[in-house]
Amino acid sequence: MMRTTRRDFLRITSIGTTALLLGVDRIDAEARETWKPNPWLRIDPDGTITIIVGKQEMGQGVRTSIPMIVAEELDADWSKIRIEQASTGPEYTALNTGGSGSIYRAWRTLRPVAATAREMLILAGAAKWSVDRGSLRTENGAVLHDASGRRAHYGELTAAAAKLKAPENIAPKKLGTHRIVGHSMKRIDGPAIVSGKAKYGLDTRVDGMRIATVLRPPSVGGRVVSFDGTAAKKIRGVRDVIAISSGIAIVADSTWPAFKARDAVKVHWDDGPNHDFDSKKYIDQLTAAAAQSGTAMRMEGEAAKIFAAGGRELKATYVYPFYAHAPVEPMNTIASVRGTSCQIWSPTQAPNRVQQFVARHLGIAKENVVVHPTLIGGGFGRRLAADYAIEAAEISRAIGAPVQVVWTRNDDMHDSPLQHASVESMRGILDNDGNITAWSHTKITNAEMNISPPEPKPADLTAYYIDNAWGVYDIPYAIPNIATSYVDVPSPVRYGPWRSVYSPSSTMARECFFDELARSAGRDPLQARLDLLADGKTIKTGDLTLDRKRLTRIVEALRARSNWGKKLGTNRGQGLACNIYDGDTYLGYVVEVTADEKQWRVDRVICAVDCGVVINPNGVEQQIESGVIWALGQLMSEITIRGGRVEQSSYADYAVPRIADTPRIEVHILPNDRDGAFGMGEPPVPPFVPAVLNAIFDATGRRIRRLPIGI
Amino acid sequence: MLPVKLTVNGRTTTVDVDDDTPLLWILRDQLGLTGTKYGCGIGVCGACTILEGSAAVRACQTTAAAADGRSYTTIEGLRNDRCQRAWLEEDVAQCGYCQPGMLMEACALLAAHSSPSDAQIDDAIGDHVCRCGTYPRIRKAIHLASTLRKR
Repeated sequence: MMRTTRRDFLRITSIGTTALLLGVDRIDAEARETWKPNPWLRIDPDGTITIIVGKQEMGQGVRTSIPMIVAEELDADWSKIRIEQASTGPEYTALNTGGSGSIYRAWRTLRPVAATAREMLILAGAAKWSVDRGSLRTENGAVLHDASGRRAHYGELTAAAAKLKAPENIAPKKLGTHRIVGHSMKRIDGPAIVSGKAKYGLDTRVDGMRIATVLRPPSVGGRVVSFDGTAAKKIRGVRDVIAISSGIAIVADSTWPAFKARDAVKVHWDDGPNHDFDSKKYIDQLTAAAAQSGTAMRMEGEAAKIFAAGGRELKATYVYPFYAHAPVEPMNTIASVRGTSCQIWSPTQAPNRVQQFVARHLGIAKENVVVHPTLIGGGFGRRLAADYAIEAAEISRAIGAPVQVVWTRNDDMHDSPLQHASVESMRGILDNDGNITAWSHTKITNAEMNISPPEPKPADLTAYYIDNAWGVYDIPYAIPNIATSYVDVPSPVRYGPWRSVYSPSSTMARECFFDELARSAGRDPLQARLDLLADGKTIKTGDLTLDRKRLTRIVEALRARSNWGKKLGTNRGQGLACNIYDGDTYLGYVVEVTADEKQWRVDRVICAVDCGVVINPNGVEQQIESGVIWALGQLMSEITIRGGRVEQSSYADYAVPRIADTPRIEVHILPNDRDGAFGMGEPPVPPFVPAVLNAIFDATGRRIRRLPIGI
Repeated sequence: MLPVKLTVNGRTTTVDVDDDTPLLWILRDQLGLTGTKYGCGIGVCGACTILEGSAAVRACQTTAAAADGRSYTTIEGLRNDRCQRAWLEEDVAQCGYCQPGMLMEACALLAAHSSPSDAQIDDAIGDHVCRCGTYPRIRKAIHLASTLRKR
């Protein structure tokens, strides 16, 4: 069980605890005051509890689930909780949100500090009534003395609590005693959203704000040779046309004149070094590179020897193309630069990165940049990049006024970082009894995201690729001889994190190729998985821990809850896939499809998941629904690049899942005894595509090894 | 360029904009009604859906000239509508950005079909994009809303 030491508590509360510090010398006449025992919590004299949220809301529900964790430990009245979003500042240096890590960290770090605050309120009550601490309890935001029937809401105790020394080693509540955590709660922002009051980045307004839109080079790495903004400036409402680092900015009084002026600006572009980049040729290049030995990842047994000896060998190449995030809210940010300071309002997943990158770009101190995060109209990893915020800061400085940069939908498709293409080269050997004796998986792709400046590669490439090769080396099945490797083929493509990052392509290849081997051996793919998890061992590979017992329970739950083993009818099939995401969240699907040579649709999805302690069951279900539909998009369309230029422009030519594509989704959250709470934003994505491809094979006998299938 | 007179949520106003200005930007930039969202600007995402009478229209595809003299309802004009209540009951929204457009479309659908089938729902919502994948709950919420009293 996590405990907080006094030292931790003080470190966490070190700055901005005016109430706490002042409290020491206050006299009783001023006894009722706002108490801020730590950066995440504020209690007003009227008992109002405000929880400060330090992770960014993009639909994954952190503005509900994180307050649930704090409110639980505080024994607060959930219906009276208020929330505030933290801006960057000395206390708020870990606001970046990604990698499905928010709940994992909040569960570990926020419970002890909230439990300590609650203990201080109890001690304040004990002092107030001169009773034993042990005779007091808390409930719904109040300290209660049952023996005398006395009750004080937290607001009445803040001044006294502020005078206390923070006690050490206050343990959070025991599992099983929770009244908020583990109970389905509705999204806190729901009422604001359905009334149109919720403010996203694009809805944020600052006095004197101009609107800017930016023309960027058609080709990645291109630049402006010359431009003429004369005609554009004649459009009513257009103020200026200026060159900035990323292209040409049109500054206007409002959005439409800025957009309208785009066609009126004449720009002579230099297409730069990547003018002939072609994604199709690049993918061919990846396929050709499969022959390279690459960097060895997990190697077990004598795989090389067994492959050399030959036998019943299967080979397959899986191809995963480029994808866009295409969130519905286009990129935008407001910046107000004055002298050497800068205020930013941005729908960003990474306020601290924006702060750092904007400061560097402007050449000012990081402390002089304050980032106020807004609600985010879809993140999915796209908004971990600071590109659009840097543009706003640069334009604001140039024009000497606050400005909101607004990307068009075309900009979003053409100029955003993408999910990167990769090729997965698979080999396997079956013995005469149909057992898999050797497994080989090589991932071939570009290793370097370029949303941050490049860093030199270390000597230990195996350690360096340990995240890139997710889904490759962390094969959970007990195959005696395993060879996995990683081949880096650089590309100039804008590449950034995309919901579940490196995992989908390799998980697809692993779970589909396992299916190929099992079926080739005449085995049931579900039973074949159980057989290779049957030793129940917990193994460590790379920095991941894989518990075969836990994954067995996922597969067994899927068998129990699905039609597995039953014939579904003509043109119908079922497929299974499972995965352990980042060593944390165990998740699998059985998918039912209707498919023939020409068309396919997913009819039903059964999901089993073990994500440790469940904070908000409703939120877990939402993330699975969301992850399934997100993952479905990988089967429908791809981003292609020709002449260094992304060919797709909008949802018209980049098809995303629509309501009619949506299958029936059933979620089974498995009870478990884990002490950690693990992420749910990304884990539902990787195993979905292979489950569908395996189901299509079941229905049609056709093995699809290249995405997308099409619509 | 012309002064455009239009009624939004029961209020009549005159705005001075170029006649090709999309209604979307009049609502958002001139009238401060930011509940209507910009998603694509070409009518393929549905985020800017509003009502003209009881019919759903795309604000990004309606020019100032075409809006002149007409009357519209935006998300800000809904007051405890049954769709809003059903949306909250089913906890539909995730990021929530596309939801005003979805809600306005749902209002139009229920005005045309008091008890829509799944196919009718798919048809109406089919032109809308939600990247969070709230579609299963949208379907549920529309069915639920059809059983609720209007006020």
